[in-house]
Formats: sequence, structure tokens, C-alpha cells
Amino acid sequence: MSEIIEVRRRLLEANDARAAGLREQFRGAGTLAVDVVSSPGAGKTTLLEQTVARLRGRRRCAVLVGDVATENDARRIRAAQVPAHQIVTGGACHLDAHLVADGLAAARFDQPELLFLENVGNLVCPASYDLGEDFKAVLLSVTEGDDKPEKYPAMFARAEVCLLTKTDLLPHVPFDLEAARARVLALNPSVRFLEVAALDGSGVDAWCALLEERLEAKRVGARV
Amino acid sequence: MHETGIALDILSSARAAVRARLEEEAELGGRGRLVTVKVAIGELAAVEPELLRLAWEAAVAGGPDAGARLEVRWCPTHRRCPACAAPKDRAEGSWMPLCPDCGAPLQVEGGQELDLESVEFDHEDGEPAPPDAAPHLQRSPRP
Repeated sequence: MSEIIEVRRRLLEANDARAAGLREQFRGAGTLAVDVVSSPGAGKTTLLEQTVARLRGRRRCAVLVGDVATENDARRIRAAQVPAHQIVTGGACHLDAHLVADGLAAARFDQPELLFLENVGNLVCPASYDLGEDFKAVLLSVTEGDDKPEKYPAMFARAEVCLLTKTDLLPHVPFDLEAARARVLALNPSVRFLEVAALDGSGVDAWCALLEERLEAKRVGARV
Repeated sequence: MHETGIALDILSSARAAVRARLEEEAELGGRGRLVTVKVAIGELAAVEPELLRLAWEAAVAGGPDAGARLEVRWCPTHRRCPACAAPKDRAEGSWMPLCPDCGAPLQVEGGQELDLESVEFDHEDGEPAPPDAAPHLQRSPRP
């Protein structure tokens, strides 16, 4: 005897419910959470090393890092004397809200003001998962093709900030900065661009200013 | 390639639905074996139906629901330009939010679906299957 049940439920319901719980937790703790996404090798960890090193004196920062294997990235952040916890996904190509919640429980960060969720290097899957973050920041390095936004549209459409990284290499590569900007804007007309070269530090102050501005705005919003 | 995770979500949601139904009518007893699970996948949901079917086959293989079918209802996105007052087809793979003819923001409807729609199951004697019985596709990470 067979029977049919009508269900009509969102498949990511469990993830979204967990993400909503995280968002509430971050709001209560006054934490600005940023999901940092890019393809592998665009410079997420180098940018975060420079970011936390600059903010360390005046803001409590913490970094949750997702990678398929190794503790390497968390070690690099800890070398900058900022707490970091590595989530080894063991094959999963993205962070989801459960991994973040479990990672935070294991990390026991001390109420960070700025929490960076360094996602697995991947421009596809992380676009689908809400982690409870305040916004997604996508990195596009100038050593990649300037048509990447068109190839991986979901991520560029959903990010609030787009960091063009490794700009110190522009004289040596055929990357067309204006064409890349136009392609991101066509997908995401309200995106904010920043140009950074984390190795020589240029542009990192502007990125830090944006983060602090968003943190203050969130706190003012929470007090109202 | 997050289709494996999505397939496991479908499997555990479908089993949960069957279990809830059997608990509702306890006199039925026994367990439910999945026959056909229907899902809706939107064009903008970043899920490949073909990969999802392969992942589904792997998820149910060798388990209590081996052979259960996954049916995908593909939900296209409809775009319309309010300025030109005309529907706009998109080029394969493009996500353009602006009208290719006049540049106005397009009205976009549908395509975000990622839903479990219905579950067909057979009543069988035996113990109910646990919701996450796909141990060969372990998704929880190492601590």
C-alpha cells in the first residue's frame, strides 16, 4: 500500500533556522560577522592577517576558518595574536550554519566585536548557505580572469562588498579593472568596491574603516 | 558540488515526513519505505539537477530506501522589463538583473525554489528507518 504526503518545505530550512539563531546571537553580543568568500588563492587569509593585525589594538577580532584539510590558515591568524579556530570540513566544499555554530562552540571566542568567517575557497556552493553573517565580502584577485563575475554570478550578486585584491600586480597582468567592475555592477548595482594589495598593505585601512563603520552602525541600530 | 549535502537533506526531510505520518496514525505500525520524492529546484538555486540525481542515488544506495526515485521539478525564472513592458529571456548562464535593451532593473519572479514537495512511501512491516541513515555519506566534519 503506497501513500503520498504533501510536504512543501524549504530544503535549507534547517540551515536557515540555525543561521537565524546565529544572527540573533551575534546581535545580542554586538558582533559584526563577515562571511569572506573567494576562489582558492585570491588572498583571503593574507587579507585577514593584515586586517586583524591593524584592528588588534582597538577591536576584539576572531576568525573562524573553513578548509577541507589542514590547520594552516588558523595558525597564520594566530601568529598575528588574534584568536582563530579551524573548521576542517573533511571534504565539504563550503561552510554551513551548523558547522559555524559547532565551530564557535568549540572555539569559545571571548565575545568578539568583529568575527570573520573565512569560507572554503569556492565561488559556487558558499553562495547558497546563510551563516548568520551581516554581509558577504567577495574577493576577486587581479591574477584571475576579469570575467569571473560572469562565470560565478550568484556569489557576486549576493556579496555586499567586492574586494579587488593583489592590485600591486596590475602592471604585470592583463586584468582589466574597469571591465571587472562593470561586470560586478551589472549583477549587483549596489555593491561596494575596495582595491587592496594586502602584501604591501595598500587599501587595507579603507577595508578596516568600512568594517568599523558597519560595526558602529550595527550597535547604534541595536540600541534604538 | 554541494549537491551531496542537499541530497542528504532531502533524504532526512523525507524520512522525517514519513515518520511523522506514521506516528500520526500509530495503528498503521511498521515503517515506510520511500518510493518517490519530489523536489522543486529553481533556476537561481545554484543546484544542478543531474548532479543532485547522482547524489541521491548514492545517498539511498544500500540503505532502507534503496531504489527510491527523486523527481526534480525545474522552476525557471521569469524576467520582465517594466520600461520595455516585455518579458526578457536570459542568455544561458547569465544572471543579468538589468534589461539588456534599456538598462532598467528587471522584475524577477521565481527561480529561488529549493523545496521538498511531496513524499510517496510504501507501508512495510519492520522498524522505522532513522532519519539520517546514510552512514557511507558521513557529512559531519572531523572536530
